[in-house]
Amino acid sequence: MERSVKESVLKVENVSKIFSREEGSFGQKKLVENHVIDQVTFDVYENEFLVIFGPGQSGKTTLLKMMAGLEKVTDGIIEFGQKKISGPNPQLGFVYQSIALFPWLTVMENVEFGPKVKGEGKVERREKAQHYIELVGLGGFEERYPAQLSGGMKQRVGIARAYANNPKILLMDEPFGALDAQTRYMMEAEIQKIWQKEKRTVVFVTNNIEEALFLADRIILLTNCPTKIKSEYHVSLPHPRSYVDKEFLKLRQEITNNMDRTL
Amino acid sequence: MKSEKKKNIIATLLTIAGFLLVWQLVSMAVDNAAFLPKASVIVLEFFKTFVNPVGKYTMTMHILISLYRVGVAFILATLVGIMMGVGMGYSKLVEAILYPLFEIIRPIPPLAWIPMSILWFGLGDASKFFIIFLGSFSFITLNTYDGTKNVDRELIGAARMLGASERQVFFKVVLPSSVPYIFAGLQIAVTAGWSSVVGAEMVRSDEGVGWLIVMGMNKGNTIQIMVGMLAIGIIGFLLAQLTTLVERRLLAWNDQ
Amino acid sequence: MSDKETKVKVTNLTKKFGDLLVLDDISFDVGKGEFLCIVGPTGCGKTTFLNSITHLYEPTSGHILIDGKEVNLKEHNISYIFQENSTMPWLTVEENVRFGLDIKSIPREEATNRVSEYLKIVGLEKYKNYYPNQLSASMLQRVVIARAFVTEPDLLLMDEPYGQLDIELRFKLEDELLELQRRTGTTVIFITHNIEEAVYLGERILILTNKPTKIKSSVFVDMQHPRNIADEEFVEIRNKVTDLIKWW
Repeated sequence: MERSVKESVLKVENVSKIFSREEGSFGQKKLVENHVIDQVTFDVYENEFLVIFGPGQSGKTTLLKMMAGLEKVTDGIIEFGQKKISGPNPQLGFVYQSIALFPWLTVMENVEFGPKVKGEGKVERREKAQHYIELVGLGGFEERYPAQLSGGMKQRVGIARAYANNPKILLMDEPFGALDAQTRYMMEAEIQKIWQKEKRTVVFVTNNIEEALFLADRIILLTNCPTKIKSEYHVSLPHPRSYVDKEFLKLRQEITNNMDRTL
Repeated sequence: MKSEKKKNIIATLLTIAGFLLVWQLVSMAVDNAAFLPKASVIVLEFFKTFVNPVGKYTMTMHILISLYRVGVAFILATLVGIMMGVGMGYSKLVEAILYPLFEIIRPIPPLAWIPMSILWFGLGDASKFFIIFLGSFSFITLNTYDGTKNVDRELIGAARMLGASERQVFFKVVLPSSVPYIFAGLQIAVTAGWSSVVGAEMVRSDEGVGWLIVMGMNKGNTIQIMVGMLAIGIIGFLLAQLTTLVERRLLAWNDQ
Repeated sequence: MSDKETKVKVTNLTKKFGDLLVLDDISFDVGKGEFLCIVGPTGCGKTTFLNSITHLYEPTSGHILIDGKEVNLKEHNISYIFQENSTMPWLTVEENVRFGLDIKSIPREEATNRVSEYLKIVGLEKYKNYYPNQLSASMLQRVVIARAFVTEPDLLLMDEPYGQLDIELRFKLEDELLELQRRTGTTVIFITHNIEEAVYLGERILILTNKPTKIKSSVFVDMQHPRNIADEEFVEIRNKVTDLIKWW
């Protein structure tokens, strides 16, 4: 298979995460441990679109944040370019569900934030930012503030901002989770188009099976907490995919049936 | 929308008119100018003081002098307040050092500081600055502290992921996102500082709107007392409006 | 529709904000006990539409009749469920569900019985003394559903209540909703952006246009519950509605 020649760009090896906090009142404090991730191992391959898919109560966001270096691993190793990840690394881009735009900066200023803190010159970084603003279809909105944009437009800015920093891998944490169904379909088509144009390794977390199947080369299905890998699916349907295609619906049913239930 | 705004303005004006009317009627019923002067008299006297000096100066000068005192103290309070607030919000160590002390000083009213401020700073403007400063800085400190503590963790994460250093996170994320809080603090502090002007001008002085009241009290001049009160009220209202205006200008991004 | 008594009758509903026409001459009927879905493109005057039905906005012209009488929130009992969690954080599950009954001063004992009956239906009796912050998103939405049904509303308006849930969970809650609706005979207007959801739930689907909002079409879904999303007829209706919306 083609995959065998693909290079692994990020390795997750036996990674576990336990959140612990003290609970109770004076004198009778006890340590409450919450085992979120349990010995997860997988590779991310160059230029693939990998979707990490799991039920609402799986630790998929925690897993992604550990890959980004935003959260420490309790056990195991995450390696990026032969080096262990120990903190945020600008070679990894992160797109938040909450979008996390800087509300006091304009669209342009948000997108050029990464190049700017790296000390790139104004002309160069503006040009780069402009390119990505146009790529996500926001040309003409450069001077707007986030509060003046709709949810879908905000997330386009979030994506442009991540791309403008020229990351090796884009990590996306349920980026369309807060959008309405139609805007969501539109954004899914959009991100797929952008990905075709600007090939980049993407790791995309979602709890929406339609979204997972629409986008993924490969889907890793997680269990409920403590989260392990339940199965892996290779999706070879051609793009652009249809949500009501027979194959699509069949795979959807298959994965859904294999998924852990939540309350 | 527009007609609603108009309606609200009319409601405001009616309330003020109604208040003056009730005051006028009550004072006419009481009929004792030393106990409760008529509203009409106070309003008239208030305008007269802009032409006829009270003590050394006309009202305009009294107001300007008081504004100068509050202004200087307010700038100091802003600087100290923001530094303390940011420090306590950003560093646990600074918080541990300053917060308890701050909480002990905070409940002591500015008036209680008058004797000490005279001892330390004498009878000049310095002691007045000090009292007004104490009357306003805690609001700025507390709000800034709140703002710095409440910075969205995801914004900090986003900046880090884009390669921002610790210093850049502070100046490019923590500080700007605290600005709305700081402004809320400034707004309360302006009003609080202005209202402590009376206390400050109790320290020997020959001018200022606070002095008008103190002097009126000493002389048993009810009209002068109430004219001074009216001046403080109106200027305080204008100051609050002004800060809101400035805030709207500077914080356009915060408008929903 | 013809076999059902009309519960809600909307005629020539129009709403303008100043010169801006948002709702343009909308007329439709909802039968008693009908489950009506309304779908429209993003940014269609959905909120205005809802607020006009509840008379939160006075319509510019047109009428909304419930049981033949002009809508009146004092007289008609309209419940409203939306996407954001609308439980009161300081009340327990039981107290939250009771809330509407207390407002209507239903006798204590009757209220208690009704609350416990509905808590049972949505499977939350074990959690009746929990506070909202101890519950998951889907459980919260169940509390809200119970709170709405317990007042036995004339009309239940739902505004994309399951937009944020996992698809799996959504289907489960939707099945519960259909069951409750069938048992109580409540008239439901369910607004959503999600076409699959509309086809899964609705007896009939009204399709709205972009602003100024009009009714573009009406599609009947004559399929048994529970419906299968991969079924040919289902896919066909879904495609038909999708074509009618044409938002891309």
